[in-house]
This record gives sequence, structure tokens and C-alpha cells, in this order.
Amino acid sequence: MVQYRRKIQHLYLRAGFGETPSRIASLQNKSLTEIVDDLFDCSSQYRDINYIPYPLNGREDKGASPYQVLKMVLKSRRDMEELNNEWLFKMTWTRAVLREKMTFFWHNHFATSVPFAWLMQVQNNIIRRHALGKFPELLHAVARDPAMLIYLNNQQNRKDHPNENFAREVMELFTTGIGHYTEQDVKEAARAFTGWTVNMKGEFEFIAARHDDGEKTFMGKTGNFSGDDILGFLVQDRRTATNLVTKIYREFVNPVINKSRVEELSEFYYGSGYDTAMLMKKIFTSGWFYEEENIGVKIASPIELLVRYGKLIALGFKSGKTQVRLQRALGQVLFFPPNVAGWKGGTDWIDSSSLLIRLSIPSYILQGSLAPVRPKPAFEEQEEEERPAREEILADWSGLGEFFFSGNGSEMVDGLLQQATAMDFPAGASLVQRIASVMSCPEFQLI
Amino acid sequence: MQRRDFLKTTTLASASMLVPGFLKKLGASAISHHGKVLVIIQLSGGNDGLNCIVPYRSDIYYKARPSIGLGRDELILLNDEAGLNPAMPFMADLYHEGNLTVLHSVGYPNPNRSHFRSTDIWLSASDENVVWSTGWIGRYLDARCGGCGSPHEAVELDDTLSLALKGKSRKGIAFRDPAALHLASTVPSIRNAASASLQGKTNEVQYLYKTLAATTESADYLYSQSKIYKSKQDYPRHDFGRRMKTIAELICSGSETVVYYVSLPGFDTHAFQKDQHKRILNVYSSALEAFVMDLKQGGRFDDTLVMTFSEFGRRVEQNASRGTDHGSANQVYLVGGKTGKPGFLNGMPDLGNLVDGDLKHTMDFRQVYATILEKFLGTSSEAILERRYDLVDML
Repeated sequence: MVQYRRKIQHLYLRAGFGETPSRIASLQNKSLTEIVDDLFDCSSQYRDINYIPYPLNGREDKGASPYQVLKMVLKSRRDMEELNNEWLFKMTWTRAVLREKMTFFWHNHFATSVPFAWLMQVQNNIIRRHALGKFPELLHAVARDPAMLIYLNNQQNRKDHPNENFAREVMELFTTGIGHYTEQDVKEAARAFTGWTVNMKGEFEFIAARHDDGEKTFMGKTGNFSGDDILGFLVQDRRTATNLVTKIYREFVNPVINKSRVEELSEFYYGSGYDTAMLMKKIFTSGWFYEEENIGVKIASPIELLVRYGKLIALGFKSGKTQVRLQRALGQVLFFPPNVAGWKGGTDWIDSSSLLIRLSIPSYILQGSLAPVRPKPAFEEQEEEERPAREEILADWSGLGEFFFSGNGSEMVDGLLQQATAMDFPAGASLVQRIASVMSCPEFQLI
Repeated sequence: MQRRDFLKTTTLASASMLVPGFLKKLGASAISHHGKVLVIIQLSGGNDGLNCIVPYRSDIYYKARPSIGLGRDELILLNDEAGLNPAMPFMADLYHEGNLTVLHSVGYPNPNRSHFRSTDIWLSASDENVVWSTGWIGRYLDARCGGCGSPHEAVELDDTLSLALKGKSRKGIAFRDPAALHLASTVPSIRNAASASLQGKTNEVQYLYKTLAATTESADYLYSQSKIYKSKQDYPRHDFGRRMKTIAELICSGSETVVYYVSLPGFDTHAFQKDQHKRILNVYSSALEAFVMDLKQGGRFDDTLVMTFSEFGRRVEQNASRGTDHGSANQVYLVGGKTGKPGFLNGMPDLGNLVDGDLKHTMDFRQVYATILEKFLGTSSEAILERRYDLVDML
């Protein structure tokens, strides 16, 4: 029989990024239905990220010159670090936790990375807007998103010289998944997307002269298909629902698929017109979601881990760069997926070095420095960085300190871990040191 | 039966229980590899091999690549049919010294042109239509000793471990710097957790604890090894140069690591290819040069084989952006003191006989793996690759 406190923690770790033990305790007199309803209510209102200013302010009519484009690219590293920090902050402090978690999920699904922070911000807001809406709307919006079109080279996709990258990934990754179409289908879809490009103001533009409006045969259908038509066909295909639900199940329920549940949920999702809010509500109100087999079985992704630290002890860094450095060392940097397929997750997060860092985070925090964490620079052309100055980490242990004032090990284990373990504190360990050692357990990595 | 044979043939899980603790600490695996070292370099993004080793006598080549083709006068001529991209001059030295074997048109049936998918295919050695979640080097580790042995038998110089080194029961270890890895492993809570009992823990929890224990052992080992040999060569000031240097130092220290894996990104030249390609080839060539010097200095060149591959080549015809799109079959380079068959092992691709604008493969990459496993590493390849492949006449 799973303890109620543990179920609430489970819900918040999956639907959000976790909550403090005192918050969880305060929810114990509410029913799960009430708590789930509350999660959705809180996500009905939200704000965009408006941190990066439009880079062409005052020159909108002209569009960017090549020089301005170059400037944006060169500035992008710093800009992206700042955008990264903005989003992490939002994940940590927003009331709309479910929406933010879904945005994070779709961010991985529609993995994109271009050196234009403004465009990445635009995409992030598009995803947030549709995160709990209907998938077809999200798909259509992302397919026309400038960052996505650039990332997948669709600006180079023209009638006389098609570039298949965009069409391929739309089919392979964003909708039906691999194996349900032929290479010929990809070629035909590419033709349908010709002319979809981005203008020098950073907006979607359709250039008719580049568009191949000839007859195409796509997955058995023939016609003068446009890019929108292709997207429509892909959404009509039930395998898109299965592909999406499988990913959602792995991410939110259990890395190990329960086939019949996934089938049932896929039919439900498809039948609802791909209503993501309805799907997530169904998952979070199902009894099986709260069963032992689904609790504490997911290895937290680096971002989930960091945001959780943010919520528990207000983990902060004097320099935003440090926070990004830590993400890099753990293998996940927001806005920088390793490739268009996104982050695989699960045991892929865990190998010798990443595990060492995860388990050492509490001791870095107590020392106040991340100096031992030195992943090499992300950009190849850079020279060896100077040995970093001792970076300062900030944390506020008072909230946890108050809640666990008794210093009792098993209370801390109950409050912080989803898997039990024996705790033996070294003699003379202070309250904060005790809490930190619970967070240093391998069990803390499982949510 | 000799004890060595007994350990080879008995169930590996029970064998590990028989191996006394101190032997485990030495990372002793029963199957000897005779001191051989395999270094695998992935040029990731899809290297344009056709612009590396150029068929300068081919009209088709120049017709297909009016603005990105390399003219004869730009090339370093290797022989009467091929010239080398001038950005990789060291390869010419290797070629003339007899330490380079080039395999042309290496690929697999129904080539996949997705980076993600094709890389997984090369790393897992699967067919195109199936997805395997383990890598061929990981399975090599499994075969050497399943459930025992140490992660450092296969090392990847990177922040994250790629599929190649993930086996069914064993994984290699990924790191950039042996000293940093060691330092990170000496935190008291880490060392305590590394020796904790697994009783009563769920599978997911056990996985973490076991990984940790193996990690601390390998960290200690690699650290002590890394202090033995310090390179004096000039590696390019590039992340790849640093990584190749670390590998050279570990090899020359006599580390028991059998396989090193490293990837060099930057080859996905969809647009404005010529300069980008030159830059990244230069990094590759100059890093390899320093590396080979180190190995020769350390007397390890004859025992080492460097295999360079890419997840696919590129299309013969250039695209509308002065670049090339994803192709299929590509070259594989083998560098070492004893590659067995220096020069071009097989014929250059027939540009008049393409499949939908792409090169046809004449050699399956798994044949290359099988040959390396059997003839270089001295182990049976069929179980590791899950199929018997015809060997290539080399090594």
C-alpha cells in the first residue's frame, strides 16, 4: 500500500518538478482529484518568456543585414546562456508547473538548436502556448517555426534542388515515427515543403516561386499536396498517436512500456483529437499511475534534478554560466539537444562521470563551489579555458531545516526519497550535513 | 583443461564469483588481447569522403560538383587515380609509409540517411530495419567477461557515453580527463556508497550502486596510469586534439584499456562546404599526426589500430547551397603499424554506377568489424555481431 504522502510526491515529481516536503504535507488533506484539478487550474494562466529583445528593433522593415546576422550568431552563446537561465528560473518558480513540464517534454520532442536566441525564445513560447492544447495545432505551429525551419535546413529546400532534412524529421521524429513510410514518401513530402522558408526579419515566409506545386504521391495518396496537407495526413495516421503516447508514457509513467495501457491511451488520445490536457488528466487520475511499480523508477533528467534542487533549497549560482556548465557536465543543456532526436533519457543519463557529479552536487553546494566540474567547452573552435575562478553556489537550507528539525534520518528519507534506504550519519554531522547526505544517496536520483 | 580455458568457457557470472577480490581489482579479464589497442574515431555528421580522397580523373565528379569539387592542382596526389584533400596532408605521409589502409565504399544494405539512425546502425552493427540498444564495443565487453571486468577496458573521451560502448551487461567509461575523474570519485559519501550492500534494493537502485562501485575502481586505475607517460607532441589547439593526446598518453602508459572511442563533430556540410570541411579535416589530420608520433615514441604503434569512419558519406552531386546532402557508402581509414594491406584495399567507387545519386556499398561495415575483432583483437565475432560476416583480406 503506497503511502499517500508518497503518491502526492510522485504526482508532483512527474507532472511538475517536485515540491518541498512542507508543501506536500500541506496537501495531505486534499483528495488526489482535487490536487490534479489544481495542477490543471494553475496551468491555465501563464506568461511567455520575454527576455531576449527583438534584435532588429527599429529596423523591422529592412530585415537583418548579413552583418547583423553574424552579430547575432556571435552573441548567441551568451544570449542562449541567459535564455537558459530564464527558463530554468521559470520552471522553478512558476505556478503553472504542469504547463512548464509539458513545454519541457515538447522541447525534447521538437528538438531544435540554432544560434539565434530570439528565435529560440519564439519557439519556446509557441510550444508553451500549445503545450496542453491539441497536438495538430502544436505541430502546425512548430512546422512553420523559423528556428525549426532553419535547424532542419528547409530554407535550402527548393523546387529545383530539394533538401529532405525537414520532411524526414517531421515524419521520423515528430509524427508517425520511423518505419511507417518509404524513402520515396520522404522525397515527396520534401517537395511539398519547398518554399517554406524564413525571411530576413526572422519570420516564416512562403515563397511560391520556390515551391514545387506539382503532383505528389505521399503514403499512397496522390495530389498537388502542400506542406499543410502532408502534416494533415501525418496527424490522421493513428501511428502518430501511438508514437506520441509511447513517448509520453515513458516520460511520465514508466520507462518500461505497458503495452495494453499505451494502446488504450493512444486510442483515447487519437479519439480526443490529440487533446494533450485530456490525455494527461487521464494519466494522472488513473489508479495504476500511483502503483508501486511506477514510483521512484525514473532516473531524473539533469534538468529535473536541477529544478528540484531549486525548489527544495533555492539552489542558485552567482554566475549563470556556472549553471549551464553543470548542465553540460550532466549531459543536458536546455536549448541544446544533442541532435534532432533529442535526449534519450533513462539509463542513458547514467555513466561513470555523470553519476559521480550527480552524487556530488550536495557536497559542491556545501563547499559553495563547482570548481571540480570542468566539462570542456561546447564550441570546438575555442581554446582551452582558463582554470575557472571558484564559482559561488547559493542555497537556502532553512525550509528543509525547519521541516526536518528533529534531524531524524528516516523522516528525511521519507520526505526526500521515493525509494527507501538506511541512513547512517557520521558522528557530529550538523542538520544541514544530514540533509545533504540524504540528497547524496543514489536513491535521490530516482523520481 | 588449463585454468585459462576454464575461465573462458565457464559461465561468466559464476566465474566472477570465483575470481578473488584482488584479481578483480587488477581488472583481469580472462581473454587476453595480446596488448593490442583499438582506437575508433567517428567523423560525425557524415564526412564527404569523395572530397577527401578525390577521383581527379573522373569527369562525372567534376560535372556533379562544379563549385565544390577539388581541382587536380589543389590535391596531394596519392596515385594515378586519387588525390588527397590538401587539408589532411598527414594521410599522405601515412599512405607513402605503408601505414594507411583505405577501404572504399563501405556501407550496408538499404542505407539510412538520418544521422541519428545511421550512427546507431554503425555503433550497434544492426541491420537498417531493426533497432538495437547495445553497441558493438559494449557487446565486445560482454564477450570478454560478462558481469565482471572493469569499465575502463573500453574508454570514450567525451562527457557522455555513446551507444557504441553500451553492452547488455557492461558499459565502458566516458571521461575527458583522468585526473578530474579521479578527484570526483574520492568524495567520502561516494566511496561509502560504492561499498554499500545491495540487499533489499530495487533494480533501478541497484543499477546506480553497481555503476558507482565500478566507477570508483576504474577511476583509481586510470588516474594512476595517466601519470606514467606525458606526451611532448604538438596537438592542435582543439578539443579533439586534447582528447587524442589523452588517449596517446594512456596507451603509452601501458593501460589495460583495449578500446578507445572518440568522435569529432562538424562534418554535416549541407551548405558552403569547402571551407568548413577543410577546417575540420585539418583538425583531424594534425591530431592524428601528433598521436602517431606519440605512439611511435612510446613503442606502441605496431600494437595499435586506428579506425576512422563516418555514419554515411554524402551525395555525389552538390546541392543548391554549395554543399552536399546525406549520402550512403563511404571510406574507412585504418592506420597503424601493422595494418597488413597498406594502400587502397579495394577499388575506388564507380561514379557511373550510382544508386539514385548515391554510392553503392561494396563492403559491409560489419565485415570490417568482424575482421578487426577476429584478426586484431583475437576474439570470435559471430556472437558479438550476431551474425557471421565474411572477413576482409587485411590485418
